[in-house]
Amino acid sequence: MIKIPHRQTVLWIASILVYAFLYIPLIIIVVFSFNDSKLNAEWVGFTLHWYKALLNNHEMLLAARNSLIIAISASFLATTLGTMAGLAIHRYKLKVLPILAFTPVAMPEILLGVSLLLFFLQVLNLTLGMLSIIIAHTTFCIGFVAIIVRARLQGMDESIFEAARDLGATPWQTFHQITLPLIRPAIIAGALMSFTLSIDDFVITFFTKGVGEPILPIQIYTMIKVAVTPEVNAISTLLMLLTLTLIIIATRFDTSMLRGESK
Amino acid sequence: MVDSLPISVRLSLALLITISAIGCVQQNNSTGSNKTPARILQVFNWNNYIAPETIQRFEASCDCQVKQDYFSDNEEMLAKLAAGASGYDLIVPTGNAMDTLIRQGVLIPLDKASLPNIKNIHPAYLKTLFDPTNQYSVPYAYTLTVLGFNTNKVRELGLPTDTWAIIFEPEYLQKIKGRVTVLDSPRELMAAALLYLGYAANDQDETHWNQAKELIIRAKPYWAAFSNTSYIREIAIGDLWVAHGYSNDLFQAALDAQKTGRHFAIDYAIPKQGAVMSLDSIVLHQSGKHPDLAHQFINFMLDGKNSVELTNLIGSGNPNMDAKPFIRLELLQNKVIFPDEESLSRLEMITDLNHKQRRILSRIWTEIKLR
Amino acid sequence: MQTSSRLVKWLISGPPLLFLLIFFVTPSLIMIFTSFRLPGEFGGLAPVKLLPGEVAGDSGLTIETYQFFFSDFIYIEIFLKSFAVATITTLICIAMAYPLALLIARSRKKFRNLMIMLVVLPFASNFLVRIYAWMIILGPESGLSHFINGILVFFGIAPVTLLFSPFAVLIGMVYVHLPFMILPLYTNLEKHDPILLDAAQDLGANSWQRFWYVTWPQSLPGIFSGSALVFIPALGMFAIPDILGGTGDIMIGNLIKDQFLGTRDWPFGSTLSIMLTLAVLGIAGLFSWFAKPAIRMT
Repeated sequence: MIKIPHRQTVLWIASILVYAFLYIPLIIIVVFSFNDSKLNAEWVGFTLHWYKALLNNHEMLLAARNSLIIAISASFLATTLGTMAGLAIHRYKLKVLPILAFTPVAMPEILLGVSLLLFFLQVLNLTLGMLSIIIAHTTFCIGFVAIIVRARLQGMDESIFEAARDLGATPWQTFHQITLPLIRPAIIAGALMSFTLSIDDFVITFFTKGVGEPILPIQIYTMIKVAVTPEVNAISTLLMLLTLTLIIIATRFDTSMLRGESK
Repeated sequence: MVDSLPISVRLSLALLITISAIGCVQQNNSTGSNKTPARILQVFNWNNYIAPETIQRFEASCDCQVKQDYFSDNEEMLAKLAAGASGYDLIVPTGNAMDTLIRQGVLIPLDKASLPNIKNIHPAYLKTLFDPTNQYSVPYAYTLTVLGFNTNKVRELGLPTDTWAIIFEPEYLQKIKGRVTVLDSPRELMAAALLYLGYAANDQDETHWNQAKELIIRAKPYWAAFSNTSYIREIAIGDLWVAHGYSNDLFQAALDAQKTGRHFAIDYAIPKQGAVMSLDSIVLHQSGKHPDLAHQFINFMLDGKNSVELTNLIGSGNPNMDAKPFIRLELLQNKVIFPDEESLSRLEMITDLNHKQRRILSRIWTEIKLR
Repeated sequence: MQTSSRLVKWLISGPPLLFLLIFFVTPSLIMIFTSFRLPGEFGGLAPVKLLPGEVAGDSGLTIETYQFFFSDFIYIEIFLKSFAVATITTLICIAMAYPLALLIARSRKKFRNLMIMLVVLPFASNFLVRIYAWMIILGPESGLSHFINGILVFFGIAPVTLLFSPFAVLIGMVYVHLPFMILPLYTNLEKHDPILLDAAQDLGANSWQRFWYVTWPQSLPGIFSGSALVFIPALGMFAIPDILGGTGDIMIGNLIKDQFLGTRDWPFGSTLSIMLTLAVLGIAGLFSWFAKPAIRMT
């Protein structure tokens, strides 16, 4: 007689398999980045060769720098504009702005990439380059910031603003002393989200990039398509290591972060 | 306050801080370590289409820096230029793409007086269909689109090697199913199919195109992939047995297989129905900032000793007579890299299509991919 | 007071509105306009003549791209195929996300965040890197390929190539989109009131019945919002078929990309993009209509 396993057990097994599905590919990348063989096939021996090669790869370092500049600029712009949009959408009954801000978030990226490509070339006569990428990234990040800021505002008690007004605060005072501190976490969150979206974005960058300045995702794409060497593993591993470090820092930064995902 | 943020957000916050920190460090490094030379020569070139030592020598001689951007397909290069890519002093297009660039009026005529070395070019490669007076272009190198094969496997299976049939006829393909790749380029593959059907590679008759399409669709189930680059490695390690590819790439593959001591050899041949020859030329783009430096570079590349380095490195064909004495013997004797008169007569250069034809070809290509 | 609050309204809504009008609305309109134009001889676009006095028949505007689109079933077929790929991706994501989301929602509170974090974490790595990982795993020289083909050969079946196949594309699609299904589903399942399950148990429902009649119907809004988050980006994807796909794996995204970066046919590329937009709008409408009854999520 086979005993039917407890349902919780089934759930556990299924979940562990899903976790394995999520993590095994990443582990493999890391392992092969130390492999002394050009082919990502079998383990030959330990080497740091691919990391050294990466450090000597000027294009790659330049690409990393360009991507950072783009991500910082785009997230700054998107956070400013997105926060305004979030505030405006929450406070006033606007019809057009919500549609404009939220649609780019919901559309397949390729559509935004294509339309911006046509726009930059035909209307602005802008030579594609860093500026066009920054604008493109800002366009789709505004929506994300606005969503986060609005969600934060929705969760707040309106009476606090009324109280401020009753006490004779000007709109600017209300904003500066009450609204801004209250939504600051959402603004920071939006900025970070924009930053990560921008640095990771491949599709829109692919369409709006110029030639000449290497950009990180494009550089990785070319490496994958043209010459697959474990250098790709090395850069991937470094990127992952970076995030892992950040997680540890983030935990230190605020020990309560694992306590609860409050809204 | 911060604890009310979702975890992912707080992670990203820390990410931002660290990345910015790293970014600053990197920026400092790069500004600190290399002084930018006064002039930068921007070259839009095929991947790995110039020997690194040639560049180094040129850089040393001119106190300038050569920067390259790469393309892997003429269409890609034209599309990028159409999409606003600019700032290039020099481009290395193939004949048909050069034709487009000339008719577009985006090239600068060459100043022949500053190119004394042009006398080194074999007359057969001057005065092409696309630029009859060489007003804009100087031949750089050429490759043929041919068939590459694993000699041991082909002999073992009793397959012919001198015909396109090997990639189009199920009779042969069934023996090598999943071990064949063809180029991921509409023009190249259609040219091969048209040649096999007995038409010219440049045939523009739509019914002939459709016949070629049918031929390709019939053969497609036997192919492992459409591949422009990965076949080089795969045929060299023995995963692939037959590949539709470029002569210089197949030369590389053959060399790799030989060097790593594989128990098989890679060879390649011009099919008897004919093949496509791609003559790549150097041209001056109007968006370049240093035409004088560009001329200097062209003349430098026309010197046989400089021109030969690419040939010896990648096995490309060389139109430079002055380079002959320096070419490695096994290359010089290779009939695919330096075709004889008889083979030359079977080679065709691809011409450009107009937008209607491009659209129709794109639809045919879509259908090929989908079926 | 009245004027100043008006001013404030414009001050905060004006800049984002202006930015989006310039960089989102205008490009979209230009895309629509472009779809009616003729490609230039060498790429780019042929000039448009809209000045009075010029011959109307030769204005440089045409609907030929639309006629071209519908003249052959091939393009509709590509759309259908992309829909199929996106649908299968979504279904696999639901099947994989559900048990995990359920487990997380039913775990003790202090573990929940850790488990969710473990879902989000792989996403900190670059999108292309995640796809690249599968190139290694599915490659012909990989352990997995050798293992599977070993089994196949043992049973006398011809070996298969895993990479560059529709199978590889699906795996890549699911891998990249899975968390977008897990997160909304978890958010939904977490809110379920356990009392309902207890009540069902008291009424004699077995565990399967409790799931099917209590948990599943309640979780539908989560499934719908997750599906929208997976389906729509999957529909327009081009990088995954491009990198992992084989001879036949082409989706709308690849076709659009090719019009701009290969064929130099901007008008037709624009037409295809407009068709994709319409498809997305239709799908989004459908999802929100289905999800409406209970969708009051974040």
